[in-house]
Parts: sequence; C-alpha cells; structure tokens
Amino acid sequence: MKLYSLSVLYKGNSKAILLKAAYDVSSFSFFQRSSVQEFMTFTSQLIVERSEKGSRASVKEQEYLCHVYVRNDNLAGVVIADNEYPSRVAFTLLEKVLDEFSKQVDKIDWPVGSPATIHYAALDSYLSRYQNPREADPMTKVQAELDETKIILHNTMESLLERGEKLDDLVSKSEVLGTQSKAFYKTARKQNSCCDIM
Amino acid sequence: MAESTEEVAVLVQRVVKDINNAFKRNPHIDEIGLIPCPEARYNRSPIVLVENKLGVESWCVKFLLPYVHNKLLLYRQRKQRLNKDELIDVTCTLLLLNPDFTTAWNVRRWVLQQLIQENSLPTFVKKENLATFPTERVQRIVQEEVEVCGEAAGRYPSNYNAWSHRIWVLQHLAKLDIKILLDELSSTKHWASMHVSDHSGFHYRQFLLKSLISQTVTDSAILEQSPLVSEHISDLPKDDNEEDTSAEHHRVVDLSHLLEEEVELSTDLIDNYPGHETLWCHRRHVFYLQHHLNNKLPHSQMRLSPVDSNGGTLNDLNLSPAVTHMTQAMDVDGLNDSNKQGYSQETKRLKRTPAQDSLGIEMEHRFIEQILSTCRNVEQARFANAYRKWLVTLSQ
Repeated sequence: MKLYSLSVLYKGNSKAILLKAAYDVSSFSFFQRSSVQEFMTFTSQLIVERSEKGSRASVKEQEYLCHVYVRNDNLAGVVIADNEYPSRVAFTLLEKVLDEFSKQVDKIDWPVGSPATIHYAALDSYLSRYQNPREADPMTKVQAELDETKIILHNTMESLLERGEKLDDLVSKSEVLGTQSKAFYKTARKQNSCCDIM
Repeated sequence: MAESTEEVAVLVQRVVKDINNAFKRNPHIDEIGLIPCPEARYNRSPIVLVENKLGVESWCVKFLLPYVHNKLLLYRQRKQRLNKDELIDVTCTLLLLNPDFTTAWNVRRWVLQQLIQENSLPTFVKKENLATFPTERVQRIVQEEVEVCGEAAGRYPSNYNAWSHRIWVLQHLAKLDIKILLDELSSTKHWASMHVSDHSGFHYRQFLLKSLISQTVTDSAILEQSPLVSEHISDLPKDDNEEDTSAEHHRVVDLSHLLEEEVELSTDLIDNYPGHETLWCHRRHVFYLQHHLNNKLPHSQMRLSPVDSNGGTLNDLNLSPAVTHMTQAMDVDGLNDSNKQGYSQETKRLKRTPAQDSLGIEMEHRFIEQILSTCRNVEQARFANAYRKWLVTLSQ
C-alpha cells in the first residue's frame, strides 16, 4: 500500500491554487517521475476545482485512489494513494494536515500563495510517516467525528467533469503539464495502460 | 515512416550494442526505464544514460522487442545459433523491456539448474541417518533468487511469475528445507501486510504452511524410526561450512502455533484493511489447514480441496489421520506440486470430532459477527457473509 502525493490547495472562485505539496514517486521508473509528478499536481487541482466546499470524496482512477477534503473556508487537501491504502487513514491525515496548516499559515496568504512563497514544511515528513498507516496512526479505528457515509465515491475522474467536458481537452490545455507529460498521456491513453509499451 | 527489414535489423543491432556498451561503461546501473518519446530524433541513439539509470526511448521498442524476441525463439528452437555474448545481449535486452516475460523466467530457471548440476560440489549434506539439508552455497543462491523475486513482486501487483519462481526455488533448490521455509514465512510477513490485495503473495504463505506441514511429518517419521537420533543430534561436530547445526533443521515445528499466528495475522489485517477479498480467501485456506491439524479421526481418508481464490493455483491436500502419539503428526500421502494443480470444484465433506471442530467454527462465527456489526464497508460485509456461508457448508 502506498501514498504518492499529499497536497494543500486553496479553492478559488474559478481555479484551485496549489499552496504546498509533497510527492513520493520513488516507485515509478526514473524517467517517468517528472511526468508522474506533474500529473499528480494536475489531478489534485482538477479534483479540488470540481468538488464542493465542505465535502469529502474519493475518486478512483485505474489503480489509484484520490482522496479530497475541501473545508468550508476553501482550504483543501488531496492525498493520492493506491487502492490498498485504507481511506479512513487518508482522511485522518488530511484533517490533521489542514488543521495544522491553517494554524501556521495566515489565511490572508492562501488565495495568492504558491509553493515558493508558503512556509509550511511538514508535508514531506507526513507523507513519509504515513506510508505505513499503522505506525503513523495506531488509533485509526477511533474516528468518531468522521461519518464515512458522507464520503462521495467517484468511480472515474470523468464523473467529476461537466457534461461535454473531456479529460483529453483539459490535459492539452493544462499549464501544469509539460510537453513530455502530455505526450506520455496521449500514448498511455491510446493503450489504456501505463505498463504497455507497444 | 516505413522501415525496410534491413534498416530495422541494422537499427536494432546498433541499439542492442548501445545497451551492452552502456553496461560496460557503467557497471553500477541499477535501473532501466522507458522514456516516453513517440518520435526518433535524427541519428540519435534511443539509449540514454543518466547517473545509474538507463533509459530506452519508447519509439524504438516496437522494432526492438519483436526482433530480440524472435531471435531468442529461433535460438531455443535451434534454428539459429547465437554465441554466448549474443545470447547475453539478447536476453538482457528482452528482460529489460519486459520483466514479466514468462520465457525469461524459464531461462533463468534453466540457468540455475545448470549451475547446480555443472558444479561438482555437493549441494546437500547428509548427516548419518538424518535427512539432508542445504549447504551454504545453495543457501546463498536461494537467498539471491528470493531477493530477485521480492524485487519483481514489488513492481507489479500479484506478480504470478515472480511468486511461482520463488516457489520453484524453494522446491527445487532448497528442497523445502524447514529452516528456509520458516525464514521465508517470517520474512514475507511484513510484505504481505503491506500488500493486502496481492493474492500471489498470500498464496505463497499458504504454500509455505502446507510445505511445513508435509516436511514436519516427513522428518518426524524419520525421527521416529531412529530411537537414538536425539543423542546423535547433540553429538554432531560443527562444520565450518554450515551455519546451523542439523539440530536446527530438525527442531520440532510447532505447527499449531504457526497456524494460530497466521490466523491472528489474518484477523489483524481484515480488521485494519476492510474490503479486500484476498484476505478473506487467505483466511479460508488457513482455517482449513488448522482444521485438519486438529482433526484426529482414525479411520476416514479425506480428500479435500480448498475453496477457490481469485485465479491462484490450488493445492490439493491429501491427508489421512495420525496414528502416533505425537500430537501434530499426520501421514501425508503426498503434497502435490502447486504448479501442477488445476482448479478443482469438489465440495468438502468432513467428518469431525464434535469438540474441536465446533470450537474452531464457533470462534470464526463470532469473528464474523464482530466484523458485520462494526464494519461500514459494503465489500467487507459481502466478504464476511460469503465466508460465513462457506463455514456452514463445511459442517454439512
């Protein structure tokens, strides 16, 4: 079971703004890591943009599960994990991180922040610690506040999009994705698998 | 851009050479990867070397892979000769591009067998009338292979080839040595706990437990025949090449304790990681083994097959009950090679002693109740109910 990324974002009126992120792409092939990382940023932003204020959701895409929590004050967090990682622990982590972030970083900095300007250094160590869900959070069963029935489940990324919107279009228009990443997406999409090389 | 066959052959030969030269230039390459690159840049090699990482641009793969694959097949069919260097280049390239390629694993097994056979050093040591156990050399080879399997298993979920190879290594190189089986059981515990939907990984643990049962029985049968054996064990001289005394290889394996631990592991994982069918399948297998260990009926010959799990190979367990005073001894007719098993749809018919059976089954029912009353995961509830139904069929 693995965690791949942990990001804090601000849900603006039209866009989601990345404030800080941590990534673990070590399990990916060396030459694919930068593309994978860009995709995780792209995905995290897209999910926050398409999620309601005050909601929690899990979005399934192939063998990945993206867990998102958007608070009522528009501060949002996204964890991208595999499908073995227990979602309950992912949401505990999000709650914890956003709570800590909101105390350390001034609210006024959120709408205009970026990873370069925001001072919050704990994400990398959280990501690393929570790789083993049991070491990180031995009390994972005690989740009195979290009502799991309220977590929205999406079976694909597509279900987050507006009618008529295509993921392919969003990818090609994205400013977050470099040319190589877009090429990678195109090939992977055609073959419907990231392991297929023919 | 259409390539003529000659152009392709020339291109491919250049690329294969480039790969080989890269290894020669940097013997510390520790990773090979595909670089997504749809088009070739003019006259540039698709082979890229960065630090200790070797990259292959994706555009060349559609030429490279069929070519080397074909070459290897022709070689195996003896339709084309390849010298040792060419063979190394070709298999190396092939394995780099497709680590899950079954033929490549077969070649590896073939090489291992050659290695063991061509060397005249003994691979197993016999001590008087005790069973054999592996030399340090064999232990090292086994360790290396097990590491390769572990690496491959991590790259690919439920990597059947990697885990089958691991089983093959234990059967044919380690000869199901008890100490190695026990070491494998403890060293794969953490991995399995962190890969809760990896069916092949859990199937491997089932293989280990079944092998321990069969091997313990074999050894205890030998020990039984030799009343003075226990004296001999303590008298054995320590050999420089041996890391363990043979006593270690013949320690009494507390099978029921091992199975209890496995049940505890299963409970722990099911509780903490709800909704994984693999864990429930594993539980069925373990409960089944435990059930038989506890069963001491004298007369009936039981032929039983475990319940199907998702696409894994099954083991048929032929067990006939014990007749000795040793609490865990059972005559094992023969533990079938897991690689040869087909899927059997026999239902299980058990005759049982009321006391032990019902206690075990009762505990399982309580476990199921606890899961159903506290779980909030739809899949988990479904699996728990299916498990309950399976238990009920057992007692019919």
